[in-house]
This record gives sequence, structure tokens and C-alpha cells, in this order.
Amino acid sequence: MSPRIVLATLGVRIRSLYRERSAMFFTFAFPIILVLVFGSIFIRPERLNFDLPVQDNSQSEASARLIEALGTDHVFKVISVPLDTDPKVYAHEHRFALLLVIPKNFQGLHNQRAVKRDAQAWAPVTYIYDPSSTSVDNRILLVRAIMAAVNQRYSGTTAFITLVPDSILSGTYRFIEFFVPGIIAMAIMTSALSNALNSNAELRQKGILRKLAATPITRTDWLAASILYQIILAVVSTVSILLVSHLVYNVRLHIDLMLPVIIVVEVMAFVGIGMLLTPLAREAESASAVANAFLFPMMFLSGTFFPVEMMPQFLQVVARFLPLYYVNEALRAAMIFADSGAVLRSGGVVAAFAAVVFVGGAIQTRWGSEEA
Amino acid sequence: MSSIPHAIVVDHLCKRYGDVVAVKDVSFTVRAGEVFAFLGPNGAGKTTTVEIIETIRRPTSGTASVLGMDVATHKSDIVRRIGVLPQGFVSFDRLTVRETLRYYARLFGNRTHADIDALMDLTDLRPKADAQFKTLSGGLKQRVGIAAALVNDPEIVFLDEPTTGLDPHARREVWEVLRGLKRRGKTVFLTTHYMEEAEVLADTVAIISKGRIVAVDSPDRLSEAHGDRLRLTIQSPGAAARDLVVRMGYHPTPRNDGSLCVAVETADDVRAILEEFHLAGFPAPVGLDVRKPNLEEVFLKLTGEPLAEIATSPADRRAQ
Repeated sequence: MSPRIVLATLGVRIRSLYRERSAMFFTFAFPIILVLVFGSIFIRPERLNFDLPVQDNSQSEASARLIEALGTDHVFKVISVPLDTDPKVYAHEHRFALLLVIPKNFQGLHNQRAVKRDAQAWAPVTYIYDPSSTSVDNRILLVRAIMAAVNQRYSGTTAFITLVPDSILSGTYRFIEFFVPGIIAMAIMTSALSNALNSNAELRQKGILRKLAATPITRTDWLAASILYQIILAVVSTVSILLVSHLVYNVRLHIDLMLPVIIVVEVMAFVGIGMLLTPLAREAESASAVANAFLFPMMFLSGTFFPVEMMPQFLQVVARFLPLYYVNEALRAAMIFADSGAVLRSGGVVAAFAAVVFVGGAIQTRWGSEEA
Repeated sequence: MSSIPHAIVVDHLCKRYGDVVAVKDVSFTVRAGEVFAFLGPNGAGKTTTVEIIETIRRPTSGTASVLGMDVATHKSDIVRRIGVLPQGFVSFDRLTVRETLRYYARLFGNRTHADIDALMDLTDLRPKADAQFKTLSGGLKQRVGIAAALVNDPEIVFLDEPTTGLDPHARREVWEVLRGLKRRGKTVFLTTHYMEEAEVLADTVAIISKGRIVAVDSPDRLSEAHGDRLRLTIQSPGAAARDLVVRMGYHPTPRNDGSLCVAVETADDVRAILEEFHLAGFPAPVGLDVRKPNLEEVFLKLTGEPLAEIATSPADRRAQ
């Protein structure tokens, strides 16, 4: 292997990418956009909130206190529903999945219970809901929890059991902190696999490899330059994802030496798969189809966007056979839990897999004009 | 270089792909400093043979040696001393001409900018030095390919169909570059399916057909040995003239464009035919052409198959 040749080839690859704007976009900007989009989706429930329309037919001190209770903790943003409208029609017209109706005699019933201590007095607060809404069940549960707390106060005693939060993690982690390592793993996988596949197919189809075969560059030089190139892309991509998620969402993750090691191992694994898949993509045009057929199932089944535990049992079994699952596990173990034992377990699986596919891919990669 | 009488020696070379035999028992030698043309139609086995000599394909049997070294065992030594323009040369789209040449030069360990500039002058690429490869015309791309084949100052330059797909003007520009190589004493191994290219540039022509070499010699001697008759072509003479020529005992070959083509022994035959035309009261022919046999006819005679038409198309002739 000649360092001069490897570096010259690496320079050519980087310069070519730099001048190809669409390739730059998909390599670097796309994962960042995903972080921004999913970040803004998932970060919402942790601050505000659901709109909760309430028709207050009582317009009393007691009903005002109930509405105030609904608005605490910033789970619901209470919206006042005009008194002269049919609440069902209103909910339908304004596309509200859940709407509360406070009865006209709420203050009277309140007085009967709270002042006259009539234990039999109760107030019907109706919730109008749209069963076709996917999130309505969660909202109803939240309303019930708030109502339980209000009822507790009506009983006049202190709640016996009080829940005290205590996270297994050292810092305060939100969903976005779990999401970012998944996006890093996905960005590296996509870039390594499709780049290896596309560039091999394209360079072969165009005959550039045939020209190179008649020069002193060897297959080892070429592979070394490709791996270095992919590692540089992976590092730039990782740094930019971390930077953007820190600046926009104040994401703080644990970063140490384990991170670059996992990145290198992941690059080797997916460049290896890319090389193995190259014979399927004889034409450069079919390369992206082959890459996508491989990337998409992997992305969705490996716990990139949502935890694997949310999937049916048999898909969880499938996930255990996907290399990206172990990359995700290793990255989260390193960046969230700082658990080196778990990193070694998952990272070891990725490393073993990478060794097999990379060697297989390298052996199979043809050089010059020789047919397979 | 004079110590090596033969730049290339090919001995009983065969290449087989499954049941298909691409190259059948090919043997020839190339002298140092000559322009050697491998002439044959597409699919004749030209590229397979040349790629074996360039060390990027392996022979099924037989041997080839370059500058005294066996291609099977001395790949890395050979590639440093040869330059290759592969068929349909392309390079990295987004690199400029200068960057492309610099990259290939670095593969050989050659980094001097002066050399790159001299190469661009030789191939007349200096005005396009900073243009990206993808923006270049076909002729310019070929010239970049030729320049890239010269970055290591090779002793032998292999050019696989250097002018295929180029318009006549661009083709002539490439020929100028090739003549320059010859003047500098390079051995040039040229494959082409353009008869004219071989005729104009080559010292030695090997005619290859269906994987076999059917003749090797200088273009003149090939013409003398195999195309022994003059060829008279008369444009649009009409059916009566054709009948007259047949009655005189000649065998005209029909041509698609309606002209009459007759193979004759001497200039006296030409005079006799024209006199008979005059006596029969035919108007003087509008177009008349008498030429010595050329490689195209030699090729047709030796192989029974025509070369690509493009080299003899009317547009091409006009451009000469």
C-alpha cells in the first residue's frame, strides 16, 4: 500500500463530493433535517401540550378552579368553547378529538359537596371524544389523572401514595437524546452503504477502474482510500448532527473514545455490505434502488426512530438479526448510559459482522477488466 | 531502447470466456519506436488482446512480453513503463483537466507541475486546464486521456480506439497528437476500426478478424500484396453503361449510391473503358475516380467482412 497514492485518491474523492452539491446535501444536510423535524415533533409533549376545548356552562368560581387545574403542568392548553354552540358540532367542525363540558349547576353541586359535606353529591363533567383519533386515549387518561387529583382535594384528605420521580440516568434525558444517536447511526449507514455501492458501480460502468488498473494503484490502495473517505464523511456528519442538536435542542450526550471506535466499525460494516451488493447493481442507475431496498427496512426495524420494544414480538426477533440494531444499541450505550460493558457487547457484534462482510466484499471487488 | 529490438512480443496468445474464444492463437511483434496498428471491426478481439498486453486481463494460454518482461509476472514493473488510453476513456467528472493529470501523475510518483503544463501543451489542452472533465467535448476528453497516458513518460503508449465517436475534425486533431508521439520516439500501439487511421498513422498494420490475425505488414506492402488491382469508380453512369462494361468483359461491383465500380489491371483498361463510353455516345462522366487499392479492400479480401462504414462515409471524405 502506498500512502502517496491513497492520499491522492482520497483527495480526488473529497474534491468530487465537494463539487457535487446534491451529494453534499444528502450526505450532510439530510440527517440534520431529520433531527430538526423529529426533534420538533417529539419535544412537544414535554413542554406544552394538547389543546383542550372546555365549554363552561357554569361560569362560576368552582368551574374556574377546575379549568385552572386542567391547565396546570402545561399538559393542556384550555380553549374556551362558546356557550351557545352544540359542543359535538363544535368539536367536529374545529377538529378537536376531545372536548369537556362542565354542567350548568356545577357551582351548586360543588357547594353541596364541599360546603354542606353531602357525600352523595357528584358532578357529571362530560367528555366528547373522537374515537378515530390516535392520541385521544392518552388525552383521556391525562384528563382522568387530573380529575383524580381534583377529586382527592374534594375528599379533604392528603393523598396517601405520592409518586416520586427518580431517573436511572444521571442527567435529565428526553426522547431527543435517545433519537440523536439513532440518527447518527442511520446517517453513517446510509452514506457508507450507498456511497460504496454507487461509486463502485459508477466507476466500473464508466471504465475509470479500467484506466486505474493500468497504473500503479492497487486494489488495496483504492479500498484504503475509500474507507478513509467514508470515515471522514461519517465524522463530519456525526459532528454536525451533534452540534445542531446541541444548539437547537440543547442535547448533551456523553462523548468519549468509544464513539469514534463505533463509527469506524460501522463504516467498515456498511462499506462491506455495499461492496457485497455491488454485483446486484451493474448499472449505476440501479444502485440506489438496491441500496434503498436494503436501507429502509433496516432503518425502521432497528430502533432508529422508535424503540424496538414498541414493535410486535416477531419483529423484535427480526431486529436482533440486523447490524444497525447493534450499532444503535452500542451508540446509545456509549452516548447516553456511558456503559462500556454494553458498548463492548453490542459493538463486538458489529465488529465481528464488519470483519466478515468487509473481507468478503474486498475479495469479491473486481479490479481492472477481469470478470468475476 | 535500442538494446530491446522488440517492444512487444506476443506468442500464441489465447483468451477464452466459457465457450466463447475471443482471441485465437495470436502471435506478433512490435518494434521499438514504431506505430503499430491493430485493425479490425468491433468484436474482433482487439481490446481483449491489448488489455492482456497492458496487464489488466489474463491470457487463457500463450504469453506476451512487454519491454522484455512477461505480463503475467511483472505487472507492477510494466505499468510504470507504459501509458494506456482505454477504450471510451472517462475520468472523474468533477476534476479539472489539470487536477486529473496531476492525479494520474501522482499515482506514478511524479509531482512536478512543469511536466503537467508540458503535457497540456503537447495535447493542446492548456486553454481548458481549469475546465471540469464533464464539461469537455468528446475530442477534448480523448486528448485528456492521451495526456493521462503520458504522465509517466512511458516507452510504449497503448491507444485503444482513440478516435471512435469523434467527428472528423476532432479525429484529425487527435492524429496530430499521435504524430507528435511518434516524433518523440515513443512506441505506439494503436487499435482502430478505421482503415484510414491505420493507413495514415501506422508503420505496421496487423489485421485481426474473429480473434485471429490474418495479415501483418506495412500498409503499402499489404496493399501491394493483397490489393493488386486498380479500382475505377464512375458516378451515376446509368444502366446502359453498366451493360457496356460487362460486354467488355469486366465484372463491376454494384454500389449502394448507384455508382459503377470496376477492378482493372492497368491504366490502359481505364482508357479503353472511357473510349468505349465515348464511342457509344455517353456524356462525359461527372465523377471519375481511379485509385490504388487501399487497406479497406485488402481487409475485405482477407476477411470477407467490411470495416465500419463511418471511415469511408461521404461526410468524412469531404472533411479531408
